[in-house]
Amino acid sequence: MTFIMYLVLFSFVLGLVAVASNPSPYFAALGLVVVAGMGCGVLVGHGGPFLSLVLFLIYLGGMLVVFAYSAALAAEPYPETWGSRPVVTYMVVYLAGVVLVSALFWGGWYESSWGSADELGEFSMFRGDMAGVALMYSAGGWMLVISAWVLLLTLFVVLELTRGLSRGALRAV
Amino acid sequence: MTPVHFAFSSTFMLGLAGLAFHRYHLLSALLCLEGMMLSLFIALSLWTLQLDSTTFSSSPMLLLAFSACEASAGLALLVATARTHGTDRLQSLNLLQC
Repeated sequence: MTFIMYLVLFSFVLGLVAVASNPSPYFAALGLVVVAGMGCGVLVGHGGPFLSLVLFLIYLGGMLVVFAYSAALAAEPYPETWGSRPVVTYMVVYLAGVVLVSALFWGGWYESSWGSADELGEFSMFRGDMAGVALMYSAGGWMLVISAWVLLLTLFVVLELTRGLSRGALRAV
Repeated sequence: MTPVHFAFSSTFMLGLAGLAFHRYHLLSALLCLEGMMLSLFIALSLWTLQLDSTTFSSSPMLLLAFSACEASAGLALLVATARTHGTDRLQSLNLLQC
């Protein structure tokens, strides 16, 4: 389990290095898919299956489809992958930075120890994170109302931004 | 600091560095922002799970809702830029200002 956890954490960092090293947007979206999947692995390893499922379904299912659509909108004839020269340079620089900083902290962290929620409730039906998220509907109701209001506001912002060039918030002057 | 804390801190800093240093495509900047938001989601979830304070676990969901707002506003800006300038390269945004 410790080995799998280290592998997942390493892939998590490596996926974000692949996003941050400025390849073409298609490949950066692919790297973000890897990061989200590995983040699900981290959350499952800590005993939060509901949060991990939410991350997998909402994030990968909803957001990455939209990003793939927009990557098709921002297409370019000669895409840069992780094999081309400047991207490889940035990847090496970022990885070297991460390795140096981790060598700085190497003696300080408690090796392979992670706490997980509900450690003794292995076979229980309800995990702790599920109960906590359900609290959003009772005690945290005002935050639910606020976030629904923010999402509605964002809908109008998006409609106003993509309305067209003749009228609306963005127009050709 | 456990290795998990180091992992999400380094992913946040990597996303920040990618957002700061690479300004070729607007979509690349948005993807780096998404990576930062993802590492914040992991951080809040780990706070809940490691400290076993399960009443806190609705805050990553609210963060995910706000991150969806941010992503949709950014993509709307991307669509608007592609309609006015024909491309999303940031170099062409301050070219031919009119």
